[in-house]
Amino acid sequence: MVPANYYLVLSAAVFSIGVFGIMTRRNALMFLMSVELLLNAANLNFVTFSLQYGNTTGQVFSLFVVALAAAEVAVGIGIVLVLYRNFGDIDVDKAMTMRW
Amino acid sequence: MSNESDPKPVSRLLSGLVAVALFVVLAVVFVRASFGDPTGFPADAHVTASLGYALFNVAGASVPGEGFLAAFEIIDLVLVGALVGAVMLARRETGGALVGALGSDQRSERSEPATATDGGEN
Amino acid sequence: MATAPFDIAPAIALLPFASFVIALLAGKYLPKKGAYAGILATGGSLLLSAWTFLAVGGGNTYNQTIYDWTAGVGSNVISLHFGILIDPLAALMLVIVSLVSFLVHVFSLGYMNDEGVEGLARYYSELGLFTGSMLTFVFSDNLLMSFMFFELIGLCSYLLIGFYRTESAASAAKKAFLITRFGDYFFLVGTVGVLATFGTATFAGPNSFPVVAQNVLNGTASVTTFGFAPQTWFTILGLLVLGGVIGKSAQFPLHTWLPDAMEGPTTVSALIHAATMVAAGVYLVARMYGFYALSPTALAVIALIGGFTALFAATMGAVKDDIKRVLAYSTISQYGYMMLALGAGGYVAGVFHLMNHAFFKALLFLGAGSVIVAMAHEQNMWKMGGLKRELPLTYWTFVAGALALAASVPFSGFWSKDEVLYTALTNGLNGHPLLLLGYAMGLLAVPLTGFYTFRMVFLTFHGEPRSEQAKSPHGVGWTIKAPLAVLGILATVTGLFNMSSVAELTNAHIDYLARWLDGSLASTSTAHYGDLLGNFAGYAAAAFSPLASSAISLVLALLGVGVAWWLYNVPEPVEHTEKLGSVKTLLVNNYYQDEYQVWLAEGVTADVARGADKFDQGVIDGIVNGASSVSLFGGNRVQRIQDGVVTNYAALLTLSFIVLLLVVGLAGGWF
Repeated sequence: MVPANYYLVLSAAVFSIGVFGIMTRRNALMFLMSVELLLNAANLNFVTFSLQYGNTTGQVFSLFVVALAAAEVAVGIGIVLVLYRNFGDIDVDKAMTMRW
Repeated sequence: MSNESDPKPVSRLLSGLVAVALFVVLAVVFVRASFGDPTGFPADAHVTASLGYALFNVAGASVPGEGFLAAFEIIDLVLVGALVGAVMLARRETGGALVGALGSDQRSERSEPATATDGGEN
Repeated sequence: MATAPFDIAPAIALLPFASFVIALLAGKYLPKKGAYAGILATGGSLLLSAWTFLAVGGGNTYNQTIYDWTAGVGSNVISLHFGILIDPLAALMLVIVSLVSFLVHVFSLGYMNDEGVEGLARYYSELGLFTGSMLTFVFSDNLLMSFMFFELIGLCSYLLIGFYRTESAASAAKKAFLITRFGDYFFLVGTVGVLATFGTATFAGPNSFPVVAQNVLNGTASVTTFGFAPQTWFTILGLLVLGGVIGKSAQFPLHTWLPDAMEGPTTVSALIHAATMVAAGVYLVARMYGFYALSPTALAVIALIGGFTALFAATMGAVKDDIKRVLAYSTISQYGYMMLALGAGGYVAGVFHLMNHAFFKALLFLGAGSVIVAMAHEQNMWKMGGLKRELPLTYWTFVAGALALAASVPFSGFWSKDEVLYTALTNGLNGHPLLLLGYAMGLLAVPLTGFYTFRMVFLTFHGEPRSEQAKSPHGVGWTIKAPLAVLGILATVTGLFNMSSVAELTNAHIDYLARWLDGSLASTSTAHYGDLLGNFAGYAAAAFSPLASSAISLVLALLGVGVAWWLYNVPEPVEHTEKLGSVKTLLVNNYYQDEYQVWLAEGVTADVARGADKFDQGVIDGIVNGASSVSLFGGNRVQRIQDGVVTNYAALLTLSFIVLLLVVGLAGGWF
């Protein structure tokens, strides 16, 4: 296999793209999608090391991460719903009442 | 979807720079790391079956791993909790009767107090 | 039972404190408003003091810590405590103070109670507090305790001067308190300096600070002297403590409060402003003499101040018309003599004059009190006259006191003042010109003293009565006459205790006081002080005939008395002092010292205070307010980071994460 460093760089790239999305995207759903990207980058990492050390632990853990991501998205969409009800728009930049 | 002020090009550029900086830092670290030869999986190993064995703490996996039964049960609870939470967030009450989430397109609901639901106290 | 009087030594002071409490709480219900409680208490103190005196005479002394009220932590422990030191000097002073206080309490029955004065419970409680504090001050064993009770007696002086609640009395009380407080500020700094330098402030014993200081100068010990040479630093400490002494003993320049203090009742003037409280300053110098003897500069300063004050106050006393004011200036002048004595190395002379002065000045004040009662509280001598026919006992005792004050043989004042001048002369002739200057000033004051004293006597008692009241004065009761009689006898005989010139000439051992003070506590004995004076201050007596010196001062005193006789012992005396013209104006206005001090306070100090206030409000408050406004402003700006926009938060998060990674990576060697 390819040395693990390449996979890690890939995961870093995906992570950075996710971070960029969080910082830039104003639509709440796109925001959630960027969060998914972050989680997937972490998953890549886990699987890489599972291969590196020949252990299933990494892959099992990434399954758990996927399940958690699903749960988080479920709750997140519920929150987006409430956000829409309160602000009339799912633009996250509009919801800025929790400020000083 | 965003009609009014788009994120100004400057702030987009800055966010991009930040993201790139993060990538650069991580990449530098990762490239310089050395892990040695990877131990792959044996050619005839049943990886997926081993995943299943590992998940349920059952012995006899062809690829070594740890037991995750406790975590499995807990994640199950987490999923249940997430579902319940999502449903609670989504429901609305009009005078005691539950209305589904699909009623959000009706503008008449606007007359309700703005804090319609907050996932807890009603 | 040699230790018996010493074990109950605290009772000497506690009895008057008890009478203070009784008069304060229950005074208004008692028949004489607390007088009997005071008389009993001071009588008890007198008996205990006499018993202690006898015990010390048998060769015992007492130097004990009674109560440690802080114990330091660590190795350099400065422990602050209350303790009792009873050596010959203290025993003598205890007897003097309790005797005078007892006589004043008895006199007050006639002066205050019989005259129907209001508020006497307050009076007797304050007298009790004063007596208790003064006695504690006398037997204090360390400088800090002395300071505390020094302040207490100053407080009692304030309370008692302001006893008659008139505006002038209140103002005089405030003036007394402020001026003595000003001096006490330096005293406090000196006390702290002593504690910081020596770690102890005890007066006597092998570890006391005078002994340690002597060892430092001998080279056998060392203490921190804050960058000064040891001799210089000890001089500085001595001069600082001298500030308090000058204030309390009304020496120049802090003398202006004493004449105004005559606003208080005459009994108070007799007790506090003649015999005891102003003696506290001189007593303190005598107590610390082992320390002062090490520093010739401090001794010279003391002698000069004393000599100058003696002359200065005598000139002012010669033109006053109020009988009490004459006595006040006389007090200032006589304390000048005591300071001259101590500064010139005459420890015994100074203490002797202190003892004599306590008795004859209290006598004179009480005599004046008797006259004032007889004259229905008229104090101007020009309205008196011819009182000797009506008040014979008062007259004769007053004359006895006056002769003592004017220093004529064989009354007490002669022996002590003569010894003061003799010591100043002989020690000064041996290479200390400043002492000779002090001697000259003291000598010049002798005829003036005789003059003003007998001017007072003749104006008051001789001649024809000059007012209706003087023609038929009130009679006075036994409570007034008895103390006068006792003090009259004492004023006559106490001189016999130390007729040192006779002792030198005849080699008879009749200098009792000198031998008394050369007692059994080594660090406070006269012999020890003599050694210190010889070794460190360089005092050695030149040869001069004591007879010649006595003759000079006696002749001058009689000269002063003679002038007063010639001018004022006529049936209708006139104000001869008018002939002095502008000099009289200067003297009557007290050399404008009061105005000068007011100018110092208003003109100089007020401006300095204003400047300091501006500095305090502008700079110090400004710094404090600035610190808070920096914090407020910073907080106001920093809180704007929290703008509610989630994406900004994410950006901040990421940025911080990068920084954290960089820091940890650089530290951990990832790169």
